[in-house]
Amino acid sequence: MSKGFSRRQVVAVTGLGLTAGFLVKKAEGQVVWQIDSKSCVNSKLGEVGVKVCDLCVKECVVTQSAVRAVNEFSKCGRCCVCPAYFNVKSAVGKDGLPSEKLCPRDAILRKPIGEVDPNDPANNFYEYVIDEAKCDGCGKCVMACKEPAGLGSIVLRVRHDLCVNCNNCAISQACPKDAITQWPALKAVLGLSETA
Amino acid sequence: MSRLWAVVALLCALTGSVWAQALPYERPVDRAPQEKSIGGGYKTPDVQKPLPRKGWLEITDVVLLAAAMGVSVWIVVKRRNRRWLMALSATSVAYFGFYREGCVCPIGSIQNVTVALTDGHYHIPMVVTATFFLPLLVAVFYGRAFCGGVCALGSLQELVLIRPVQVPKKLDRALGWLKYVYLLAAIGFAVLPLAQRDFVICRFDPFVSLFRRSGFAHMLALGAAFLVLGMFVGRPYCRYLCPYGGLLAWFSRLSSRGVSITPNKELDCGLCTDACPYGAIEKMRAVRANCLYCARCYEACPREGPLVQLRGQA
Amino acid sequence: MKGRAAGVVVLVCVAALTADYAVKIAWTAASDVRVAALQEKVRADAGLAAALAAEQKKIADFNQARRTRINWLSLVLIVAAAAFLVEQPKAPRRIPEKPQKAAGVRRGGKPVVTGAAAPEIDLAFVDEVVAREGRGTEAAIPILQAIQAHYRYLPDEALRRVCELTEITPAQIAGTSSFYSRFRRSPVGEHIVRVCHGTACHVAGARQITDELRRELKIAEGEDTDPSRTFTIEEVACLGCCSLAPVVMVDEHTAGNLTPATACDALGEHA
Repeated sequence: MSKGFSRRQVVAVTGLGLTAGFLVKKAEGQVVWQIDSKSCVNSKLGEVGVKVCDLCVKECVVTQSAVRAVNEFSKCGRCCVCPAYFNVKSAVGKDGLPSEKLCPRDAILRKPIGEVDPNDPANNFYEYVIDEAKCDGCGKCVMACKEPAGLGSIVLRVRHDLCVNCNNCAISQACPKDAITQWPALKAVLGLSETA
Repeated sequence: MSRLWAVVALLCALTGSVWAQALPYERPVDRAPQEKSIGGGYKTPDVQKPLPRKGWLEITDVVLLAAAMGVSVWIVVKRRNRRWLMALSATSVAYFGFYREGCVCPIGSIQNVTVALTDGHYHIPMVVTATFFLPLLVAVFYGRAFCGGVCALGSLQELVLIRPVQVPKKLDRALGWLKYVYLLAAIGFAVLPLAQRDFVICRFDPFVSLFRRSGFAHMLALGAAFLVLGMFVGRPYCRYLCPYGGLLAWFSRLSSRGVSITPNKELDCGLCTDACPYGAIEKMRAVRANCLYCARCYEACPREGPLVQLRGQA
Repeated sequence: MKGRAAGVVVLVCVAALTADYAVKIAWTAASDVRVAALQEKVRADAGLAAALAAEQKKIADFNQARRTRINWLSLVLIVAAAAFLVEQPKAPRRIPEKPQKAAGVRRGGKPVVTGAAAPEIDLAFVDEVVAREGRGTEAAIPILQAIQAHYRYLPDEALRRVCELTEITPAQIAGTSSFYSRFRRSPVGEHIVRVCHGTACHVAGARQITDELRRELKIAEGEDTDPSRTFTIEEVACLGCCSLAPVVMVDEHTAGNLTPATACDALGEHA
């Protein structure tokens, strides 16, 4: 058997090499899916009174979805009556707080920062932490914590440790706003994937 | 005129009052309090930012892919042994299939490469580029080494094929064109603008939901149907639908080595032709474009393996 | 046995998964209705909020439990399927039908084990010949010639009888009968098929003609006569009609210009 290569093999390898080289020139190290909170219906400003979009829960191939609501603490108002924590439309209870929670999975934890003045509990800051074991990214809290009611600190984020990185992300196919797209991993993790 | 204004004013008042009823809640703060304004030594907690899979793990996948193809070539060209190839197939199904859950695979990467070539803003990872080109490169020299024992989809079908029947030549050839239609369709859907873009190969991958052990019921049923059919018809997906198989067939035509039926050893007995479930042996020679590197012909050959040794002892 | 057990396990797992899916569909539909009804009630009576939360927790727990169940079931399914595939009995390996190229047809030679039982023979003729030709070792060739002429081959029983009656040793008979190609040790067929292997016929494919005839007549490897003893194939040198190559002679009838497809026609009405 000859060790030499046929001319057609050389042509094919050169062709493949050139194409691969072209792609490598514009390649990124690693690409992940991420939600652009400025496009997502649930967090997009101006989208008030519309139905909460829960396609991230329904479409994701991961059982409990790889999408989670994330509270950006630096933007959180730490309100006593948080519109994302409480169902502010429910009846007011004895403690002066709404009687219902908004989250269907009870995934938001509320704890006061520092001492609470028992006479005036409203005049205190509260920290809201999302329990990611319970949250499935249904987006109700995201829709509630949005201007003008809230400050828009809660957004939906793909959790890269849960996401299986499907080539054909089912959520991206279903998303009405094309808010979930692929981003270079570094930008997506650091939150640089937001459109300006 | 003044009555009209009065009505408008009334309407405005009404809408205002309705608005107030619907939203009795008012935002307590306009700005997020920061550490300083909260005081009491409060520290803003860090927002958790989970990292994606480690980069070196992704590179390991590519290295393993290349290594598996090397082993596949070695087993088929040098060892000529089906048992070893079965072991390789089982390993690939376990790793690329069940552990890596079927992603990233060269079949789906066709679409990524297509998009990357047509859309300047698309980011294609190096890993995907490597996954797409490596098997093609091997095919240029050794034929479809990727198909045998490396591809998780193919290996799975290879493992379930227990009672192969021969597909009539004409039907086989006609169905074989389907994969090129599928390839064109996949490319067609991939070059659409971002909003309408669809990766049909991944969407209608029959086995990925089996590997993930979850997914749409109809896709799971389709995968199971392919496996049941695959018990009798050799690798139905690979031969008739796999678009990457179409590409590999083109490139493997150029290859100079691969599964070979050695001319000076053969008996003209035709057992290898009967043993090949893929109709890839014509006139006692393996057809590179159709040969899926399963090594069944070696197993069936009376001149290969244990029989040769028996004859030597007698 | 193990294979069958594994197959049963596979079927049971598939059935269980299907049933589980059906249950999930029904359960989800029912719980959706319940949740919707509760939500309606909660709007009127806020006190029921706890019940709604409990219902939603129940749904989450159900899904979580189902996930675990499916994971275990599919693990068992994969293991059982692997066992089923490994335990599959292999299809028996078929013996090549065509003769091997390396093993040529040798006339005479060492005794071959014939597939069909040799016919019973009358040994009175041997006694007669020995009485006529004498008992010395020099009578070996005439005796063998006479036996061959009578029986058309050298039956083992006849040769054994010759050794008993004369001074001729078995070794001498074996040597003589294998040296002269005229002698044959296996029964000959009713008709002799001579396939020409002269240069012209060889070039025109006498090898393939021989192979085809042997396959058609089901002549086993190493033999030259078919099981029904109708035909004996001989490879001969030039038959003298090279323009008709490849040529086959069946008894006294010659057939030329053959192809593997038409070779069997040459056997004519005898076949």
